[in-house]
Amino acid sequence: MDTIIELKNITYVYGSGTPFQMTALDDVSVKIKAGFITGLIGHTGSGKSTLVQMLNGLLRPHAGQVLLHNKDIWENPKEISSIRFKVGLVMQYPEYQLFDETVGKDIAFGPKNMKLSDEEIARRVEEAASFVGIDKALLDKSPFDLSGGQKRRVAIAGIIAMRPDVLVLDEPAAGLDPRGRKEILGRVRQYQRDTGAAVIIVSHSMEDMAKYCDEIIVMNRARIFAQGSCAEIFARAEELVAVGLDVPQIAYIAQALRRGGCELEGDIYTVEGALSALVSLFEKKGIPRKTANNA
Amino acid sequence: MSNISNISNIFIKTENLCFSYDNDGEEKVPAIKNASIEIEAGSYVAVLGHNGSGKSTLAKLLNMILLPTSGKIYINGRDITDPEMSEDDMFEVRRQIGMVFQNPDNQLVATVVEEDVAFGPENLGVPPEVIRERVAEALETVGMTAYARHAPHRLSGGQKQRVAIAGIIAMRPECIIFDESTAMLDPVGRKEVLQTIGRLNREAGITVLNITHYMDEAVLADRVIVINDGEIYMDGTPVEVFSQVDKLREAGLEVPQSTELLFRLNALGYEFAPGILTTDDCVAAILAKLSRTE
Repeated sequence: MDTIIELKNITYVYGSGTPFQMTALDDVSVKIKAGFITGLIGHTGSGKSTLVQMLNGLLRPHAGQVLLHNKDIWENPKEISSIRFKVGLVMQYPEYQLFDETVGKDIAFGPKNMKLSDEEIARRVEEAASFVGIDKALLDKSPFDLSGGQKRRVAIAGIIAMRPDVLVLDEPAAGLDPRGRKEILGRVRQYQRDTGAAVIIVSHSMEDMAKYCDEIIVMNRARIFAQGSCAEIFARAEELVAVGLDVPQIAYIAQALRRGGCELEGDIYTVEGALSALVSLFEKKGIPRKTANNA
Repeated sequence: MSNISNISNIFIKTENLCFSYDNDGEEKVPAIKNASIEIEAGSYVAVLGHNGSGKSTLAKLLNMILLPTSGKIYINGRDITDPEMSEDDMFEVRRQIGMVFQNPDNQLVATVVEEDVAFGPENLGVPPEVIRERVAEALETVGMTAYARHAPHRLSGGQKQRVAIAGIIAMRPECIIFDESTAMLDPVGRKEVLQTIGRLNREAGITVLNITHYMDEAVLADRVIVINDGEIYMDGTPVEVFSQVDKLREAGLEVPQSTELLFRLNALGYEFAPGILTTDDCVAAILAKLSRTE
């Protein structure tokens, strides 16, 4: 896969020169692949949010470069706002940022700032709303009459409507129930598959990361600790725990089964993976199975 | 004074509890419908339910942030829906039932950790010497003594939540309600808070209500109550509740991955007993099945 956005030797320091000086990013270099869902994980304070704010130029690095399509986004600082149309950032709890009279107007805010024609704006609002599963009938409603999960999807639609090349979501499922998590993350995955955009998701849920991401970046103390596929990353349970993270419960189950002598094939970090590995093992060992009719 | 419930070890009791939010003159939306529950003193209860199911409303009714539309609530035998309840009585209920919320940044008020913990008892009019003792004890209980003089905003999420818990403990509550208190924490922060909750329940005998979206947290409780559309939908031990995978899914919930794995193996015809919750039990069940055929 091609690199769409690259951080090159980025350093960022908060409160430089004060007693509270803190290095949030320490010579960080990382490449984000186009056409992938990349998960960004790390303990609180590891630098995830600072990194995310580098990607669309909300923060300017103290050293290093941010390359979007191989071009330094800070080459012409006056045009940095145009970068934010290309790299869309959905912040944590974005529903608190809804402000307009109607859902439709709220979603249209980004495209309007891009100075698109009215017809184009209308088309994009409709398209973005459908991507996040917001019914057309809701477009004329006040965003404040919606449920929490709906509000969050409207906020995401507002970013999607700009058709960014890179969509970044900081904890998109925080505080949602299991069904709401599935709905949001499922929609994001569908959006990625349909548009081919690069998607970056920040989350503390290892289960969700294992389920939805193609690649994972692990941060620890202002540096990149590891980058790789889910299989590669979640095979390193001890190291992840040492940097304040975890692996999905199912990965522990697979690990314990192997220690107990089970010959499970493949890398297991999702329930689906464990299921297929166990079924083929059971078949190999001739474990009896109740037939469907007497089940 | 109202009837004291007969069984003295019931700490929370609700009878036909109803609550509707006032919707600007439009039709009222019932958030809690006829809920009758009893929670024993010293128990550890997980409360599950989808967003908007009424979990948080129930919690707010229990410590009088909201007042019921109809029905009764007894706290420690006292009817808190009694119109005779004075403001002092209400503060006493809030002392007895502390609440810890989701966002750690919204709960800390002072610039130094120990002052933050002292905020509650100060408001209760506790004498300064006693406050000092209680603050030290509370910080010790949550394992934050070393940070007594630190600035709260420089702590990690899990540490902030533990300070918030200490602030509640310093008021000597009988019960603490955790309203999605781990939702914003990283895995280590969650573990820290959950260990603290478990310890408060086991060692200090504090009644715990943990409102959560994480099924693996519910497994740690003695009892799981599922609320769905304002009604008590399921109520039982974690094993009883999590063996009913389909029923939970109907309410928009999930089961732990271990339970899901065995449930799906079951659906394929490999028989496993329902309601296996922990990693260890799941592994043991699978290994037992394999060894039986060898």
